[in-house]
Amino acid sequence: MATEIHVNGAATSSDWQDRYYHVDQILDRPGPRTDPSFLAGDEVKDFLRNKCKILVIGAGGLGCEILANLALTGFKDIHLIDMDTIDISNLNRQFLFRPADVGRPKAIVAAEYVMKRVPGVKVTPYYGKIQDKDDDYYMQFNLVICGLDSVEARRWINATLVNLVDSENPESLKPLIDGGTEGFKGQARVILPTVSSCYECSLDMLNKPTTFPICTIANTPRLPEHCIEWASVLEWPRVRGDEKLDTDDPEHIGWLYSIAVARAKEFKIEGVTWSLTQGVVKNVIPAIASTNAIIAASCCNEAFKIATSSAAYLNNYFMLIGTEGVYSYTFEHEKRDHCPVCGGEALEISISRDWTVEQLIELLTEKQTIQIKKPSLATPEKPIYFQQPPQLEESTRPNLEKKVFELVPDGGDVVVTASSLPFSLSLIITYT
Amino acid sequence: MSSQDSQDIETATTAIESAPDTKTRRYDRQLRLWAATGQSALESSRVLLVSGSATSTSILKNLVLPGIGHFTILDHAKVSHSDAGNNFFLEGYNSIGKSRAEEAVQLLSELNDGVEGRADTRTLESILESHPEWITSFTIVISHNLDHALLNKLSALLWKDAKYPPLVVVRSAGFLADFYIQFHEHTIIESHSETSPSLRIDKPFPALREHALSLEFDNMDSTEHGHIPYVVILVRALEDWKKSHGGGLPTSYEERQQFKKSVLALKVKGDEENFDEAEAQAYRCWTETKVPSEITALFSDPALSTEAMESPFFHLLAALKEYTEQSDTHALPLTSTLPDMKSDTHNYIHLQRLYKTRAEEEKQAFKSYLRVPVDDGMVDSFVKNAHALVVLRGKPWGTFDQDKAALVESLSTMPKETCIHLALSALSLLQASDTSVSPSAESIRANIQSIVGQSTELPVEADDAIGEIARAPFSELPNTAAFLGGMVAQEVIKMITKQYVPVKGYCVIDLIETWTGTIGA
Repeated sequence: MATEIHVNGAATSSDWQDRYYHVDQILDRPGPRTDPSFLAGDEVKDFLRNKCKILVIGAGGLGCEILANLALTGFKDIHLIDMDTIDISNLNRQFLFRPADVGRPKAIVAAEYVMKRVPGVKVTPYYGKIQDKDDDYYMQFNLVICGLDSVEARRWINATLVNLVDSENPESLKPLIDGGTEGFKGQARVILPTVSSCYECSLDMLNKPTTFPICTIANTPRLPEHCIEWASVLEWPRVRGDEKLDTDDPEHIGWLYSIAVARAKEFKIEGVTWSLTQGVVKNVIPAIASTNAIIAASCCNEAFKIATSSAAYLNNYFMLIGTEGVYSYTFEHEKRDHCPVCGGEALEISISRDWTVEQLIELLTEKQTIQIKKPSLATPEKPIYFQQPPQLEESTRPNLEKKVFELVPDGGDVVVTASSLPFSLSLIITYT
Repeated sequence: MSSQDSQDIETATTAIESAPDTKTRRYDRQLRLWAATGQSALESSRVLLVSGSATSTSILKNLVLPGIGHFTILDHAKVSHSDAGNNFFLEGYNSIGKSRAEEAVQLLSELNDGVEGRADTRTLESILESHPEWITSFTIVISHNLDHALLNKLSALLWKDAKYPPLVVVRSAGFLADFYIQFHEHTIIESHSETSPSLRIDKPFPALREHALSLEFDNMDSTEHGHIPYVVILVRALEDWKKSHGGGLPTSYEERQQFKKSVLALKVKGDEENFDEAEAQAYRCWTETKVPSEITALFSDPALSTEAMESPFFHLLAALKEYTEQSDTHALPLTSTLPDMKSDTHNYIHLQRLYKTRAEEEKQAFKSYLRVPVDDGMVDSFVKNAHALVVLRGKPWGTFDQDKAALVESLSTMPKETCIHLALSALSLLQASDTSVSPSAESIRANIQSIVGQSTELPVEADDAIGEIARAPFSELPNTAAFLGGMVAQEVIKMITKQYVPVKGYCVIDLIETWTGTIGA
């Protein structure tokens, strides 16, 4: 059975005897909580090792762990997407990278490393954005695992996989397993698009990002963060003009830091440091190997159970807090009734007849269940306000001060789009 | 303000750092969690792993990456075909037949130049007999799926002296696992608690009270009025309340609502957010500033009554006890950390200075109760975290399994967790008697029954645990290993850094339904 192959000139055996001794104990017989549909033995092993195609999105802290786990578990056809290159601050946890790899694309280095270490596994990397790929691309996979640090990318893949579902074609339902971490905290979840709660359904669980009002930054700074924001938001464009701020460039951070220190001195504010400056302008999230290992392992474990039906899988949300003892909470997150992605219904918004278009836009950007920046609004007939292109922005700008009631009838539809929103949101406006 | 103070401000706001060095950049994302003190504790630690299994190397990976000082893998086994298939820190097929410890140390060492790794191919048995002091020289010892008898010897050795290293016992089979940290005592200053210390609004220190009373709310221009910090508003409003209520605080629900209304009534313009904030924070007025009960409980810790206290922590705790008994406030020393609030720079910074100055005075008063010299950095940290100090006291490994009453109780309150723990204990007993045959569900059940007592009826959850262990008794799944690798490393980091709070008791893991739970604490 074992066939000799050659990887990097070294003789190895791709499937040596007992290679999967540990995994096979699970695949050779059912357990007490195994679904009756489980086909123990060769068939399930063949599916896992020769047929199952899995996509990993993100080759960072979670991605590195996910790749290694999947490879050892027996997934052999793994695709990997990541748009980043390796930074020195990745090396405290992204264990497939070495100092010499700094600057190289994560997807490519990670794929090479895993293929070298786990013979017979094929990892196909793509160095680029998930948005570069179309529906046909995503249709080829049996499962998708995400180890991302961006809400926007998660929303995009979630909406894409929900839209992919065709009730006539069971193959079109791609289970999405999503992990995320911050410091000692993390979560893993299983999303069956259209069937169970999707990423968009739980948007209100996200913490509101810290923002500082511009008037505080400009006039009444109190915290070191206010001085740093002053340097990056106001002084950088004023002094450096059109030059793009690169938060990975030490010269840029150093400049912001010195400006922030001067500002802090003027106002007698303590605590501006290089590290804080970088933390604020880059929105740095603390990250450690151990939390990533836990969350990535639980994502891969769900992938393994779903791919093999060897055991029941997570239904559907696992939340971990490791700061005080080991606290975790496993629960079923329920579908949101009016989820704009998987609910298939328009969102009803009730406002006063006095409200202007500007107030409605403000409401939309502040709403925790929607979370959009710079939305554009239109009725089915005509634009209300468009952020882009400039000509259209200019021609629709006068509408901002008009009352919504003048433009949209009671019970009328409004379509909301935004560059950060991977789908268009339908609203039904009613008046109080 | 004294000239000393103004000089401090000068230095505090003008010291310019240069760009961080390579090491700081590498560790940036973790330094934000445990800072330089935690990092330096990690870097001086020496970790012993008993076995080079996939679980053990997963744990080590998550300790080598953040930068422990040294690790040793103690393992005399050779890499088997199955090891080569499930351990990422072996060169696959090429490692078969070589020393498991040596192969793993080489690949783990690649992860971080700053960490020293050693392979030791002696047997634990021989070391326990001839060089037990070698084992006790480590900072912490971790074992995975260690033979029952050897584990008992190892845990007994490490329990002998409170100064010996903690032992982390890790057990796993298939989708199920548990782990336990054996330690005598663990003290934590930086628990990173999310509760914040009192701002003393109900008992303002003199400078704060004077400041609040000196402000003429009525004669301010509207800009200034809209920027009075809520702390000042509340102190003032509460003083006024006390004057008109015979010195008493708002106690009943009605009184508290009335107090909140009186705060809002101070507004001169509707959009003064600082008064809204004051109303929202009004609960601080009737949250009495006193020593929290968790900290009072520490004051009766037996370690305080021993004659020759060695740990600086207990010297600090003894001083804190005396300080809170004898100071006028009967409260913990004030911390200088003021939360952000609606205000302008001048008012906020002024208030911050009042807190800082007072905090410094109280810290000096606190220090006068110290009987031995303690490092200033530690004193600062202790005072800052006085509201969230933690002392944990542990039990030796295995105590739980010998306490039938505790097991019976645990079976009824946390049946799923307890059944998995017992099934793993039963497996370990069975493997001790015969490693060649797969244990049957019946034999696992019989062993559980012998642990809990024949008369104890096992809950239905036992079937799931027993069935799953019997399905895969010798299976070390890569995902289970990786999950444990993260969990155990996290707890070890907390033990070594003495930051955050480690788990107490047996942390049980079920990777079928994906949950964790803690029993037998």
